[in-house]
Amino acid sequence: MNGTDERLLEEIAELLADPAHRDHPLHAALSQLLARHREQSRRLDRLIGIADGFQHTAQQDLHATRHELERQLHRQRKLSRIADRYQLLLSERNEALRNESHHDPLTGLANRRLLHEHLERLIGTSERYQRPFTLAMLDIDHFKRINDRFGHDVGDRALTQLADTLQSTLRTSDHCGRWGGEEFLVILPETTLEQAEPLMSRLCNRMRHLDIRQDGVRIRITASVGVAQHRPPEDYERTLQRADEALLQAKRQGRNRWLAAG
Amino acid sequence: MQGDSYPENSYELFTQVIDWTERFLAEASHSLALDLELLYLNTSSVKAMMDIFDILEEAHQAGRQVRVVWRYDERNERIAELAEEFKEDCTFDFAITAVRVSA
Repeated sequence: MNGTDERLLEEIAELLADPAHRDHPLHAALSQLLARHREQSRRLDRLIGIADGFQHTAQQDLHATRHELERQLHRQRKLSRIADRYQLLLSERNEALRNESHHDPLTGLANRRLLHEHLERLIGTSERYQRPFTLAMLDIDHFKRINDRFGHDVGDRALTQLADTLQSTLRTSDHCGRWGGEEFLVILPETTLEQAEPLMSRLCNRMRHLDIRQDGVRIRITASVGVAQHRPPEDYERTLQRADEALLQAKRQGRNRWLAAG
Repeated sequence: MQGDSYPENSYELFTQVIDWTERFLAEASHSLALDLELLYLNTSSVKAMMDIFDILEEAHQAGRQVRVVWRYDERNERIAELAEEFKEDCTFDFAITAVRVSA
């Protein structure tokens, strides 16, 4: 209620209170109207008060809900971020484990397990598309003597240098790995025995030029190699066996050479 | 707490830890130090750890002395980075310490 209204009401109240107007015909009706108006005003004020109160509470609730929502969003983002990083960590750990379980720790070359995987895949494509492949089994000559005479440290160096030579001599599509002790397997996909020949000669040649020294003295290292081309429908185990037999033959013929399986 | 955490029902496991923490903070009045050496956590374990840090943060805001030490293998910096992520919203003393772990 504004000031003008309030003054008007006071004025009416004063007029009603004046004894001179007591018997006026409008006196009773006006005094009832005034009382009614005052009652309505009070009710209206109360109503507005209650409504304001509700609105205020609703506003506070809304504010609190918004705040909580922001907090939860922040938490959710943080949770996803951390969980994602843990997942990444786990997948990297898996990759590292996979790598460790497939490679020889000394030379870094594929181990027998991974070589078997390569061979399985190779025999699959070879059968499907009639593609040739050739395997070469390589063994360092008199490796035990090197170990006994110069120590395992030199033996290990010979193995790692040979591994490096293998990797740098082979083509990118070829695979090589450590089959066992001083034995290495070379897998030549899409390669016939004939095509493998120059590669084998180059490999044996590079092997002869390995420069491993102990106390300034150069240690001569040679290797023997048995090579076999896959003959369908034999399985790769049989090809490996034939390469092994050729290797044995190369050893018998005086080592430091490569021989093709008959 | 130490190790990996990927329980089938992490709610069950962590409710006990959370309950214990809340009870300790409510009943005792001395300081609380949490020693952690955690490695892998699955998502629900991450959430549980966030809940625990929230409880500690609340206690800290209320004037309690609260401290966390998260130890990690110095060869595994990634764990330290993750601990940093957890620490982000915490205003209490939260140390991330490298330790040498013999292999």
